[in-house]
Amino acid sequence: MPNEKIFYREGIARALHEAMAADERVFVMGQDVGAFGGAYREFDGLHAAFGPERVRDMPVAEAAMVGIGLGAAAAGMRPVVSVTYMDFLMLALDPLVNYGAKLRFKTAGKLTAPLVVITTAGAKGQGVAHSQCIEAWLMGVPGLKVVAPATPDDAYGLMRAALAADGPVVYVAHKKLFPMAGACGAGDVPMGAANIIRAGRDVTITAHSYMTRIALAAADNLSVEGISCEIVDIRSLRPLDVGLVAASVARTGALVTLEEGQLACGVGGEIAARVREALGPLPVQRIGARAAPVSSNPVLERACIPDAARVAAETRRFILNDATSRWRAG
Amino acid sequence: MNRVAMLRRMRLIRTFEGALAARRDHGFQLLSAGEEAVAVGLCAALAAEDQLLTGGRSIGFALARGLPPGPVMAELLGRVDGPNQGRAGRGHLSWPAYGFFGAHAVVAGNMSVAAGVALARRLREAAGMVVCVFGDGACGAGALHETLNIAALWRLPVLFVCNNNQFAVSTRPEATLAGRAGDLAGAYGIFARRVDGMDVDAVAAACAALAARVRDGGGPVFLECASARFLAHSTAARETRMADELRETRARCPIAALQAALLRDGEVSESALATLEAEVAAEVAAAIAFAEASPFPSPEEALADAE
Repeated sequence: MPNEKIFYREGIARALHEAMAADERVFVMGQDVGAFGGAYREFDGLHAAFGPERVRDMPVAEAAMVGIGLGAAAAGMRPVVSVTYMDFLMLALDPLVNYGAKLRFKTAGKLTAPLVVITTAGAKGQGVAHSQCIEAWLMGVPGLKVVAPATPDDAYGLMRAALAADGPVVYVAHKKLFPMAGACGAGDVPMGAANIIRAGRDVTITAHSYMTRIALAAADNLSVEGISCEIVDIRSLRPLDVGLVAASVARTGALVTLEEGQLACGVGGEIAARVREALGPLPVQRIGARAAPVSSNPVLERACIPDAARVAAETRRFILNDATSRWRAG
Repeated sequence: MNRVAMLRRMRLIRTFEGALAARRDHGFQLLSAGEEAVAVGLCAALAAEDQLLTGGRSIGFALARGLPPGPVMAELLGRVDGPNQGRAGRGHLSWPAYGFFGAHAVVAGNMSVAAGVALARRLREAAGMVVCVFGDGACGAGALHETLNIAALWRLPVLFVCNNNQFAVSTRPEATLAGRAGDLAGAYGIFARRVDGMDVDAVAAACAALAARVRDGGGPVFLECASARFLAHSTAARETRMADELRETRARCPIAALQAALLRDGEVSESALATLEAEVAAEVAAAIAFAEASPFPSPEEALADAE
């Protein structure tokens, strides 16, 4: 159904359902993925449609879950492994990074591991070990692909792309996005392609996942003051679409990077460096989480994570400050 | 595989590794002198459609599985005519067409992967079982326990083989494991056995019996082979044992034991042994020549298949 409205979680479930119907090699494993349908109902209906052999509940054992997924992938299947919280992907980094990401290289192409690891990032009141965004850690691993869709359309399209890829893909969903509704054109979304979701003149703001919504809200606030923001949804963190961001920054003349994760060695730092290498000197401002654990306490959680008011304020200060103005004038 | 063929394979491993270690350009190797009976006894029980996964001490298992020595030597020396074009080396050597799904040099890191290969076989209704070899050092790792639990729960066709060579680098299992390796699987309801890993006949018989259970759909099984490492952990590691202890350990040579048994049982003559030794030496010399004739990869190859 082109252009119907669906939930983000439905975009994921639909892509999986279609892939499982079309290809017997596709199956799903993880905690509570079976009759329960996933912590966020992102696997709704799959167990009923395909049964317990292809929608397998697993023990709380993330390292083995991902390792088994990689082994099955290397032996010809196309598994999807759900790691409920991205914080727990840390437990599975050994198989993912030391085996999966290197398999194609180390076997000289004899074996590949077409595995999709779907996980959830972001703060939603669950505290210091259930809120983290560590996708930047994965961006430095050759052999891995990392995507982070922000809309139901991209949730569907990027899951399709991930299922078709020939190496491990980490698909980073966001807790706050699952119940969000949006149009779903049921089209393909290639990995490695960013997307301009709002055109503007004065500054380019990059964001991914839930932070694209914060960026859009901040841009609304700033437009009232006459500051026009162009917003790029990065969508794919590795490979990274530097070309599209650089082209945008070449038009606007300034770059703000926004992320929910930590700034040190973060997504924004990488984007800024790559754009700088492409364009030469440019004014850059990074916005991200404060350098602190993200508490379940709502006041402290809000204090850590960027919101629209903070993004607007920091972008305004950056655009209007002397150095940026001088550089843009000069 | 008859006993003379097993002897030949064990001698091949010992001679091959010796020739490798004697080279100045051998790199960083984990050798298996003293452990040949585990590799050869195990592989004697495997069928062509089975897949073997090992840890980083892989050379003996690769040769026991029947990988051609020339390409293996080329791989170990970093040459492009290795099965992995010289990129994998000993730690990550693989050749699935020979039933050698691969080495993985992260201790216990191969276990969940092996269970995944077995799961793929179950889902695709493919024949054959999966064999996962690891050392005593893996027995304290979470990956082992997570994998045993799931393999038992799903009755996956896996033969788990703990090659207990009594040392994790310098540390004995008594210092790191509360219990014995062979007892771990029992907690998950997995049938387990312990065998003298210096006796190739015993290893082969135990593996054949256990493999039959797996092939009959009985789910995973676990075998602990008590073996002995004659050399230091690696070609770069210090030997930590005293000379007396080393002498006693090396006196339990599985190759010498089998040779003596074959002579005693009249299955081989002294002259046949001499011929066998000469043939093995020629085979290893040919492997070295094959590797030396193969070039190193170009620097650009560092990026091939990287993404």
